[in-house]
Amino acid sequence: MSDDARRPVLARRARLRWDAARSRHVVVVPEGVLALTEEGAEITALLDGQRSLRAVIDAVAGAHPEAPRELVEADVREFVQRLVERGYVTLEAP
Amino acid sequence: MTEAPVALLAELTYRCPLRCAYCSNPTHWRDYDDELDTAGWTRVLREAGELGVLHVHFSGGEPLLRDDLETLVRAARDAGLYTNLITSAWHLTHERLAALADAGLDHVQVSLQDSDAGRADRIAGTTVHAHKLEAARWVKPLGMALSINAVLHRQNLPFVGEIIALSESLGAQRLELANTQWHGSALVHRDALMPDRETLESARAFALAERARLRGKMDVIWVIPDWYEDSPKPCMDGWGRRSLTVIPDGTVLPCPGAHGLPGMVRDSVRSRPLGDIWRGGEDFQRYRGTDWMSPTCASCDRRELDFGGCRCQAFALTGDAARTDPACAKSPDHPLITALRRERPAAAAEPDVDLYRIDIRRGRRAS
Repeated sequence: MSDDARRPVLARRARLRWDAARSRHVVVVPEGVLALTEEGAEITALLDGQRSLRAVIDAVAGAHPEAPRELVEADVREFVQRLVERGYVTLEAP
Repeated sequence: MTEAPVALLAELTYRCPLRCAYCSNPTHWRDYDDELDTAGWTRVLREAGELGVLHVHFSGGEPLLRDDLETLVRAARDAGLYTNLITSAWHLTHERLAALADAGLDHVQVSLQDSDAGRADRIAGTTVHAHKLEAARWVKPLGMALSINAVLHRQNLPFVGEIIALSESLGAQRLELANTQWHGSALVHRDALMPDRETLESARAFALAERARLRGKMDVIWVIPDWYEDSPKPCMDGWGRRSLTVIPDGTVLPCPGAHGLPGMVRDSVRSRPLGDIWRGGEDFQRYRGTDWMSPTCASCDRRELDFGGCRCQAFALTGDAARTDPACAKSPDHPLITALRRERPAAAAEPDVDLYRIDIRRGRRAS
């Protein structure tokens, strides 16, 4: 897949943080908040513009050896794609 | 248990060099010149972070008139807050914007009065439009996000297409097309600012088509003109539910328009912690939840979607803040609104009137 070498990066206007009052991770964006699952927070933390999408998938799969690789891969792709569609993540050229 | 608020509107000052006739600040804004000092606002920001607030919107008036804005942005970031500056960009220099970015500012919202300098400056009451465009272009290269806000009314609605195109050319990631809400000066000038349905509908259709075209590039937000909707706006997403406002003198309000409601106790951060006011303050309890609702709202299946609409509008039109917002078609007071609607544009011969922000001092202070 051609996107695999691209490097996803969380937009400057979006900030990942721990929301202590509600015991969850969130991405804070202008005028809104995206509530994340633990898995979502784990993936988001890897969207640093350094790692390629392939490297993000590898890292998440490596951290969860118990989970089937295809499942992890599908989850990461879908999650990143959703953030790209909403403009909170951009895919940098390799 | 009361949920924690997500957003704090920090109205740092009501002073403003612009004189927009639709200003939503109270008309007696000069009574609020005993502003919280730097230490006071720093404490508010820290307490907001501890309370669970995620966003702070620095607003006013013109927040750039506060010399300590950089310090307050830094304090907000130290409290973990996402920081938004709502500004006219009046006399904003590149140097100051860079200092604000260094302090941790995340997002800048610049107001536009219109797409054309002549018309925009006439509304602003000062020469500012050309500088706004320059300042808006500095925002993204300094690493911050840019939104544009345009308040819409009879005089600029025909130019909504130009306003969208201008915002796109500035590289804004977000554009709020905010139809005038009838509070403060806007309420006083309602007749002169009230659009007609024909112009409104054509602007809406255009804006929605542009929203589709610009998806993924610029979010176009159409803030509903509730007077033409038959359903009320979910004001503040519910009273005391999601956000709180601290006004220049330290008074804490559930919404920035609640000054004028009768019987408010007006708790202040000068005498009570922010979290305590949020959880137990009488003003916050007054219209929180659904217990206060009129039978019209209490029996409505939309009661937890629009929360009965706007308390300030209910009070302004009916004299009773607990009534159903007259913007709602189910309200017995709905004719108060429908009677004032206009269907077609005014005759071309009718000139636009120069109007400015109302300025009343009630004489609370001797000077």
